[in-house]
Amino acid sequence: MSEIVLTKLNKHYGGMHHAVRNIDLTIGDKEFITLVGPSGCGKSTTLRMIAGLEEITSGEIRIGGTLVNHLPPRDRDVAMVFQNYALYQHMSVFDNLAFGLRNKKVPEAEIKKAIRNAADILGLGELMQRKPRQLSGGQQQRVALGRCIVRNPKVFLFDEPLSNLDAKLRIQMRVEIKRLRARVPTTSVFVTHDQVEAMTLGDRVVVMKDGYIQQCGTPLQVYGEPANKFVAGFIGSPSMNFFEVGIHAQDGELIAQTPFLRARVSERYKAALAAWNGRTVILGVRPEHLRVNASDVDPIGKVEIEVIEQLGSEILLETRAGDLSMTVARVNPQLPVAAGDVIQLSVPSDQLHFFDPETESAIR
Amino acid sequence: MSAPQRGFWDSLAPGARRAFFGLVLAAVCFLFAFPVLWLMLTSLRPESGVYYVHKGLEFTLDSYKQIFSDERLVNAFINSGAIATLATFFSLLVTVSSGYMLSRFRGRIASTWFGVIYAMRCVPYITWVLPLYFVVQSYGVYDTYIGLLLPHIAVHICFFSWLMKGFFDGIDPSMEHAALIDGCTRWGAFYRVALPSAIPAISALTVLCWLFTWNEFLFAQILTGRNTPVITVVMSQFVSEMGLQWNLMSATAILALVPAFVLTLFGQKYVIQGLKI
Repeated sequence: MSEIVLTKLNKHYGGMHHAVRNIDLTIGDKEFITLVGPSGCGKSTTLRMIAGLEEITSGEIRIGGTLVNHLPPRDRDVAMVFQNYALYQHMSVFDNLAFGLRNKKVPEAEIKKAIRNAADILGLGELMQRKPRQLSGGQQQRVALGRCIVRNPKVFLFDEPLSNLDAKLRIQMRVEIKRLRARVPTTSVFVTHDQVEAMTLGDRVVVMKDGYIQQCGTPLQVYGEPANKFVAGFIGSPSMNFFEVGIHAQDGELIAQTPFLRARVSERYKAALAAWNGRTVILGVRPEHLRVNASDVDPIGKVEIEVIEQLGSEILLETRAGDLSMTVARVNPQLPVAAGDVIQLSVPSDQLHFFDPETESAIR
Repeated sequence: MSAPQRGFWDSLAPGARRAFFGLVLAAVCFLFAFPVLWLMLTSLRPESGVYYVHKGLEFTLDSYKQIFSDERLVNAFINSGAIATLATFFSLLVTVSSGYMLSRFRGRIASTWFGVIYAMRCVPYITWVLPLYFVVQSYGVYDTYIGLLLPHIAVHICFFSWLMKGFFDGIDPSMEHAALIDGCTRWGAFYRVALPSAIPAISALTVLCWLFTWNEFLFAQILTGRNTPVITVVMSQFVSEMGLQWNLMSATAILALVPAFVLTLFGQKYVIQGLKI
């Protein structure tokens, strides 16, 4: 069992900067967790504290039931992949892979066997005698992954391992990491600032901001039921549209209204929003949930098209209604639209999200 | 609007540009090589002909023969070589780890050490000499190897720790972090990962350090005497009340150039790499 338990974890830098605040998180055995958030949110610091590369200001870290707060990195039985690969430049690929095992005084025959196994998984066979600087970025990252696999550790830690790769290679490596997971299931923590990586790789996604965990849940949960406005805006691309709406009751229905838009509140949110009758809340709509000139769902208002971005597979529209601007995604690429056209937008009412304007937490 | 004015360079044909560039390069090279060539020429002239180097055609190796037969001069070469080598070795032992500490560690010890080195570097080189003379005298090591070695080592540590810090700043620390996770101690990560990556830097520093000591005159002049002659001091002693022995001085200088030249030839790749940081 190699469960990771973080309890009331805190990290101060010199009393001034509070990088990680009261983190409580349990990562199950063989679970793959992604930590995601903007830069400076404390995700990397959290990962480095688990690795033992940063000291903990207060709190506890347990790996496989053992308190590791004061254990040096080498005694924690973790392996880590770094953003810039961190391969030993003066050693061959083989020696890079063997380094950790040689430190553990594993017999050379076993080392060879472990490396052959890792090389098979990652396709490194040809590269064994090369030096890291003779490899491409993707190959270097595969060697870095190999260095983790051969050690067969309790925990894999990934610190933005795909950030230095170009877009195409990044997608390829993402798939490779998924494949690797299936073959070598190990408790993993993956730090990234890219929400697509976080969503596609994680069994659960932890969204962080300013040192706090904003939400922890499955990819579907953080997408479908964001805990607050930050998570709603951070997860999903293009970002969710937000605007302030007034809530009022009419004919037994609750209506969210601005001078330009009007939406009916679905049964799902009715009970929670009843208390907001007569007040203002923040309404969030995902661009991909908005439909253009659809007759089968509730219309919310008319908008004027400002910018059209044709992507081939879909159209992105930047639209405006009065002082509100709204992005619409997944528009049929064949739809005959032009800038300046006025279109009718609709959205299924259970796809609306409401947030408290003060605390920004979700109202549901 | 008037057409942009064509400069001298633009008005030249591509071939002429190359020729002009080559000419300028040759002129600059000659400017730097001239003193050395003149030195060589002087060293090959008989004593009577040194003032007419450009006129005479009489060349001789007498000056070189005279140097090799002078025990004091031969000793000076040996002493200079030994002191330069020892000073380089011992100062690098400290400099490498001190540069590493300055680059990687924060805290009271590192910042105090930084302060000490910084303060020492602020003091003009020449002001060290007199106090050092009294210190060396009072410890009874005046005119000995150790009396010249220790000040040199101290100066090198102050000067080269900075350079070494720069080198280590250029080496990605995540490599050492990977080593820590892979089972190394802090010391092991330094010794097995950071140090091998710094070999080009250390080579550059070795060359710089050795040349610095080999060419050093001020400390040697003040801190040594009859028993420990070094080459830079002995060279200056060809100037006496009886006159100047240009031919001997030049021949000694040419011989003193040889090890420095050889070392630079083999180490220049590293030195340039080092100076870039």
